[in-house]
Amino acid sequence: MGEAVTGGVVNMAAKLEIEPGSSNAYHTGDWRTQQPVYQNKWPPCSQVCPASEDIQAWLALASEQQWQAAWHKLAERNPFPATMGRICYHACESACNRKHLDSAVNIHALERYLGDRAIALGWSHKSSCDEARTQRIAIVGAGPAGLSCAFQLARHGYLVTVFDAQAEPGGTLHSAIPDYRLPKSVLAKEIDAILALGIELRLKHRIGKEISERDLLDQFDAVFLAIGTRQPRPHPYDDGTGKAGSSHRVTSGLEFLHRLNRDEPLIIPQQVAVVGGGNTAIDVARCVRRLGADVAVVCAQDPHGTHQQDLATEMPASLTEVIEAETEGVQLIYRAGVRRLVRSGAHLSGIEIAHVDRVHDRQGHFNPILFAGTEAFVAAELVIFAIGQEADWQGLEGLQQTTEAEGVWVGGDAVSKSKLAASAVGSGYQAAMSIMASLQGKSLVFDAHQKTKITFRKMQLHYYRKQLRREGEMNAQRLDGFKEVVNGLAEHDAVDEAGRCLSCGVCFECDNCWHFCPDAAIIKKEDGYAVDYDYCKGCGICAQECPCGHIDMENIETPAKASTS
Amino acid sequence: MDKRDPFRHNVLTAGHRACSGCGEAMAARMVTDLIGPEAIYISATGCLQVFTTHNQQSAWQAPWIHSVFANSAAVASGVEAALRAKGKDTPVVVQAGDGGTFDIGLQCLSGLIERGHDILFVCYDNEAYMNTGVQRSSSTPHAVRTSTSPPGRLSQGKQQLKKDVISIMAAHHMPYAATATIAYFPDLKAKVEKAMSIKGPRFLQVLSPCPLGWVHDSALSVTVSRLAVETGLFPLVELEYGELTGVMRLVEQKPVDEYLRPQGRFKHLFNSQDGAMELRHLQALADTRIRRYGLLDAHTQWDTAHAMQSERHGRGGYWRGSEHGR
Repeated sequence: MGEAVTGGVVNMAAKLEIEPGSSNAYHTGDWRTQQPVYQNKWPPCSQVCPASEDIQAWLALASEQQWQAAWHKLAERNPFPATMGRICYHACESACNRKHLDSAVNIHALERYLGDRAIALGWSHKSSCDEARTQRIAIVGAGPAGLSCAFQLARHGYLVTVFDAQAEPGGTLHSAIPDYRLPKSVLAKEIDAILALGIELRLKHRIGKEISERDLLDQFDAVFLAIGTRQPRPHPYDDGTGKAGSSHRVTSGLEFLHRLNRDEPLIIPQQVAVVGGGNTAIDVARCVRRLGADVAVVCAQDPHGTHQQDLATEMPASLTEVIEAETEGVQLIYRAGVRRLVRSGAHLSGIEIAHVDRVHDRQGHFNPILFAGTEAFVAAELVIFAIGQEADWQGLEGLQQTTEAEGVWVGGDAVSKSKLAASAVGSGYQAAMSIMASLQGKSLVFDAHQKTKITFRKMQLHYYRKQLRREGEMNAQRLDGFKEVVNGLAEHDAVDEAGRCLSCGVCFECDNCWHFCPDAAIIKKEDGYAVDYDYCKGCGICAQECPCGHIDMENIETPAKASTS
Repeated sequence: MDKRDPFRHNVLTAGHRACSGCGEAMAARMVTDLIGPEAIYISATGCLQVFTTHNQQSAWQAPWIHSVFANSAAVASGVEAALRAKGKDTPVVVQAGDGGTFDIGLQCLSGLIERGHDILFVCYDNEAYMNTGVQRSSSTPHAVRTSTSPPGRLSQGKQQLKKDVISIMAAHHMPYAATATIAYFPDLKAKVEKAMSIKGPRFLQVLSPCPLGWVHDSALSVTVSRLAVETGLFPLVELEYGELTGVMRLVEQKPVDEYLRPQGRFKHLFNSQDGAMELRHLQALADTRIRRYGLLDAHTQWDTAHAMQSERHGRGGYWRGSEHGR
């Protein structure tokens, strides 16, 4: 060993006969039988959203106070956030996994917050396409479906013309939603922002009158029919005028709301009965209360929460709307059907109702059986039937028969089973995607991660803190006129509420997998993480401790053993 | 040098031979990356030494010495004294298992503390001699099955109690002694950083589950160590000069069953009358520790829910100083 000493200085390194190597040379990755995979999931809120909003994505942006980015992300699927935040019945919140921890995220209030902020600051939509296209598309109906479709097509550079028979755009949103739920100015501003993308709007144009079906097909490369349901379903009762239909004693819910929304004079007696169990019936009843009259809603179904197994026998109206209606003094009569209108001479004195046994027949049609001997009298000088509505195909008989192959698409309330405004928006989006794919000669592609679902059982809820849900304040003097019932969120509440999102199945970079990996096999990057499969032993800790269920463990196929025979 | 990860040093890097899901490897990676590669690390004989230095390959990317089982604290004392003589303030860290701390190394450790060396002694407590085949140690809890304490007609696993080593340390009137576990990284981080800011002898006991010896699924190492805390069986406390100065409060006390059931080493307690009595005994031990440290009613903001909360973009990791800053 003496030769290592040179000039009195001991060279330590030279004394070692073997230099230690790094354990990096040994790849422990071949030990594993399963391996982690980062996989974005489609959270339950988005899964049930009729407009397929990427709710998690815009909540994440909102929680970082990137308000405008959040609004753009939201508007990608739904250009009506201020409107939908107010009127949508938010299936997303019923599906929210957070209810298993404390209570669902207040998604609708945040949607409204973003929409209101966009209106207040005058944000405009972004075009997602630079190239100008020459193809022209006609859209019939300026309701949520038609405008949603127009928005998507215009965003992608197509030339869009929207036709509507009415004097104002908005369709049902404009004519049938009362002011206390949706102020007209909010809707108008959101429509203006959509039209600002360069969409041509032709109001008071009815197909078959101002423009013919033939012209539509000749002048445009594609036609989207979103005509909605503007025709009240007729009721079968004679109201004394000799013809079934509308009079000043009997009217339809749709007609009533149309007149109210157009500020036309309405004579409202002291006692009013509304027939129907849907959201329109509740809207009508709450409007009648605001006009100062007493109102009873006659509904064939049972109250909410009485039939866990058979929801079809429960009142179809939204539960929150029913609760708000009851607090406003609307009387609800459940499991009752109308037998006849009761008159004394020309004067309508009320309706005779009876107990409903079966609501739907075997074919699933609404066809209640009324039991004799259970009759009761409900005093009313005005009866409003809110028993459904239908599409009015008058003037469109030719186009009704055509198909997508001939360049005609149909969507919205007119054809879909769900009559929710958000469904109409979703239907408009899908039509736009289908039209674009067809015009470009491509096939429709959907996001792959939308297929993988995530339930709270796959998540680690103990990694989240319990936090109170923030609510918009209720307006105390709400029966005094048609002022909005619920106020919007304050900014600091909106930030906190958006931060309550669990980010189900979508990585939010909490670092758990990275901290907990015993084998240095998770590499942190500027955006997210990567698994170094050279070293991953497949222990599964990262997947087990991922709060949001973003990581899956998948089995590795072992190499086939050589056959011995 | 392994520079795969821009956000941590990987002082203990990949390619080590620890079992899949090893709690000790995880704990050592957290602790050493929090301290950094400038320190000198001394490892007593044990799993950590064996699986990180295999066959001419080292997993350490920092100066590292192996000592025998008994004398790691004595070797570290010598290293620290030499550094002091040369006027250097390089941190010195001892890493030992429960065997090298509670049993074989206790005398040297006691001497280190008594002489007042400026050393952090970290004990990765996996509650038995795992390296040599799961023999009982004085850290093994009551009623655990090990290869030298098999349950049978005469006993339900280990008959004696787990040695209360943190109290022994605190009784030395030392500057800082604390318990931690891998399940609560923010808590562990705060304790390591606090220990590194103090001069003199410091002691850290880190509960580190062993999937092989505790007989649980390799994916459950973190879950099990979290349950050890949440049931009250492993209180997270800080003691300075013998006084209790910090407690992580439990948001709720979980029954010990939740901790015991996933572990095969307690399986024998769930199918006999004698076992049922030992279950009650373990529950009583947890209740006693909760009372003793005031785990449910401590006046502190620091509770298990707080330490568990996951945050967007993490809680920050291992960067210390400018070169690793974000």
